[in-house]
Amino acid sequence: MDAVWKDSSREGLIFGVVIIFFILIGLTVTLSDIVGNTLDLNSDSMIGNTRGLMVTYSILGLWIGIRGANTAERTWSTSLLSSTAAGLTTAVLVGVSVFVVGILDAADVEMRNYLVQLSRPSVQLLIFTKDPVSGSFLTAGIFIISSALGGLLSMATESQRNSQQWQAVFLDRFSNLSLKRVKETFHSSPRLRWVGYGLFLAISLLIPQFLSKYWNYAMGTVGIYVLMGLGLNIVVGLAGLLGLGYVAFFAIGAYTVGLLTAPAPISLQIGFWPALIASVVLAALTGILLGLPVLRMRGDYLAIVTLGFGEIIRVLIRSDLMSPYLGGPQGIRDIAGPTIFGVSFSSEKAYLYLIVIGILLAIFFTNHLQNSRVGRAWMAIREDETVAQAMGINTLYYKLLAFATGAAFAGVGGALFAARNQYTGPADHTLMVSINVLCLLIVGGMGSIPGVIVGAFVLKGFPEILRELELYRLLTFGGLLVVMMVLRPEGLWPAPRRRLELSAEDSSTPVLEDEASG
Amino acid sequence: MSESNAEKTVKPLDTFRIVQAIIAVLFVIFLSWRLYSVISAGIYGPDTWLRFTISGLIIGSVYSVIAIGYTLVYGILFMINFAHGEIMMLGAFAGYFVLEGLNGLVVDQAAGVSFLDQYQILSVILAFVVGMVMAAIVGYYLEKIAYRPLRGAPRLIPLISAIGASIFLQNAAQLIFGPKRRTYQNPSALTRSVGWRIPISGEEVILTYTGALTFVLSILLLVGLYVLVQRTRFGRAMRAVAEDKQTAALMGINVDSVISTTFVISGALGGAAGVMWGIQNGIIYHYIGFIPGLKAFTAAVLGGIGNIPGAMLGGIFLGIVESLGPAALGIDFQLKDVIAFSILVLVLIFRPSGILSEVLTEEKV
Repeated sequence: MDAVWKDSSREGLIFGVVIIFFILIGLTVTLSDIVGNTLDLNSDSMIGNTRGLMVTYSILGLWIGIRGANTAERTWSTSLLSSTAAGLTTAVLVGVSVFVVGILDAADVEMRNYLVQLSRPSVQLLIFTKDPVSGSFLTAGIFIISSALGGLLSMATESQRNSQQWQAVFLDRFSNLSLKRVKETFHSSPRLRWVGYGLFLAISLLIPQFLSKYWNYAMGTVGIYVLMGLGLNIVVGLAGLLGLGYVAFFAIGAYTVGLLTAPAPISLQIGFWPALIASVVLAALTGILLGLPVLRMRGDYLAIVTLGFGEIIRVLIRSDLMSPYLGGPQGIRDIAGPTIFGVSFSSEKAYLYLIVIGILLAIFFTNHLQNSRVGRAWMAIREDETVAQAMGINTLYYKLLAFATGAAFAGVGGALFAARNQYTGPADHTLMVSINVLCLLIVGGMGSIPGVIVGAFVLKGFPEILRELELYRLLTFGGLLVVMMVLRPEGLWPAPRRRLELSAEDSSTPVLEDEASG
Repeated sequence: MSESNAEKTVKPLDTFRIVQAIIAVLFVIFLSWRLYSVISAGIYGPDTWLRFTISGLIIGSVYSVIAIGYTLVYGILFMINFAHGEIMMLGAFAGYFVLEGLNGLVVDQAAGVSFLDQYQILSVILAFVVGMVMAAIVGYYLEKIAYRPLRGAPRLIPLISAIGASIFLQNAAQLIFGPKRRTYQNPSALTRSVGWRIPISGEEVILTYTGALTFVLSILLLVGLYVLVQRTRFGRAMRAVAEDKQTAALMGINVDSVISTTFVISGALGGAAGVMWGIQNGIIYHYIGFIPGLKAFTAAVLGGIGNIPGAMLGGIFLGIVESLGPAALGIDFQLKDVIAFSILVLVLIFRPSGILSEVLTEEKV
């Protein structure tokens, strides 16, 4: 019985800490708004939605109850007791914090000087526009009651035997089974694969017609990231070289197009297409130049050096030293867009078509590369460099090739990005670009072309849908990376070969083992 | 691995090495020429050089405390704890809140003297203790949540997880504390820009009290850590785990707890560095951990990663180069970060094992 209490109150403790964290980052306000708006509830508070917050708390409480009950021996009474214990822990934690916050607010302490999310209206939301005492008791009450209900609910639905197992199964079913059949036929039968590609082609060519200007722009951004993801996929996914300085090549592409087509700072104005070719060549060359000295390093050193290189490029772009040539912090304006037979690209739709065509070419190219001698050499290097060398693969040559190809893709991405915005400046070339591209690879599944597309849509497309959560995008990114690495390191749509590898190495999911032992 | 192979089988005509050597020689000649021309032009007097050196030593000592945190973790897990800079930032925030709180706590009602000014030494000690404890807690949970489940996975995976943790912590701090820049509330004895005056060639160079405190404290931390690692039972366990986890486990060492404790120590050092940063530089915000973290990693690599005295030396070396470099080479001060990262790239190319060489055997790499 002791252990039951301990387990479920630990569960409650974790939830309590997470909810307090939500309060501190202001997510409660946003969530209550979203819930309130969807359920069309009216609210008493200035910001957020009090009834929405109550519903949010109740849902969380139910979840706490279900989790808490699952650690117990399965009878009605123990299930109820342990889930209430979990709920009670959370209730006490959250209730006390709400109480403290409410009291401080009542005493006219300006908390937002230190914790910016705790402005007076948001504190009013937290105590449901009541006094601190009843507000915190109400909060605690919601958690206790809903967690007790959650415990009963989990007992009633006996099928969910063990929540951890259930989660693993859910994860598996969610990301494996639903896609599994599609994926397997996709990977095994070449004819179906071509049908799939054809479908993708048709969709991607038709969709821009039906989208609004804003969505065409947003999809264009997704598309540019797909393009860059395909490039980094060669470097990281196929050749296994972790580069964190991808933004450097993106910047080189953008600035080459900028310098060659814009009227200032140097007036060359040679037009988009020659500039695009120049930017690709220049990016690839830089890739080779950077690659030559650094490619002999081992993995994590390579990551740091490329990251350092990206930072160097960024500092140089911003600096006064280069500003006569690169425009300094103001960047370059009036970058020319492409023209085809005298028709210039001005609409978002036209750019989206251009990007889609670029992606299709890139997919065709990488697909062929991947299944060729070069691709096999890359994968051999990724698996074991020494062995690859022993098999007669010129590792330096192939690594350089991977680096240059990846850089060229980033160059195209940068060029398109700059031309579409008609502007490029230091703010476009932060480390976040590198991290974003790496993230979409990881989320989608390294070494897999469909994975890149899935990843780009998840990371760049979803934030467009959830505009309200824009503030939390980077936070979610970071969290998502950790969670993906822990739960599903192979990504959402893994390359078949890589999935085999990762599951062979640690036969069951690592989390389960760890949670069982600790 | 390619490094050791190449060394064993040095061919008389390895073009790559020859090119490398030529570039290195040209680079050194260029640097010396720049240095000579700047010094002979006499733009800066000896006081300026001394000022740069002092500020380099101070910032370098902060780097070295952060670098030790990297080195400790790398030495035991062979992973770059990318989020270490963020741990430092959180430590700085914890110290900030302590000092703010003590400043608001009035002990002498009549004179209106705050706790901070009444018990200055105690306040600073409290700030350091709380900063270190908070950072240690973050370090402990970071390892538990983001790294432990990945033990034994391919090397890329914990690195990516670490990058994720870094982004997460940075943005959490931004959301919680806001993007505003905050001024560290120093006690009056540690007012910034006040210190001993050193007369030199008709000018006065100020060695600030905050700077001296930072420097002395970092030396003390290093010595303490060195004793801990080399002389105590726990240190022996730690070195054993770094050497070989399986054998260490067979010898009755609890590997998990040793790794956890290492993260706690590394976090505490990061927290101390954060408070030092706040007291010395005065301004903190959510982004302060990133660049110093990167530079401290450079310092750790410079000194030979996994090597504690090496990290210390590397940090101080980097601080001095960064602060003297732009003046000595006659380039823009905006470019000091470029110098730091160039050093990183150069060291990794020419001497990947660092100045004092790594404490790693090749098989671990």
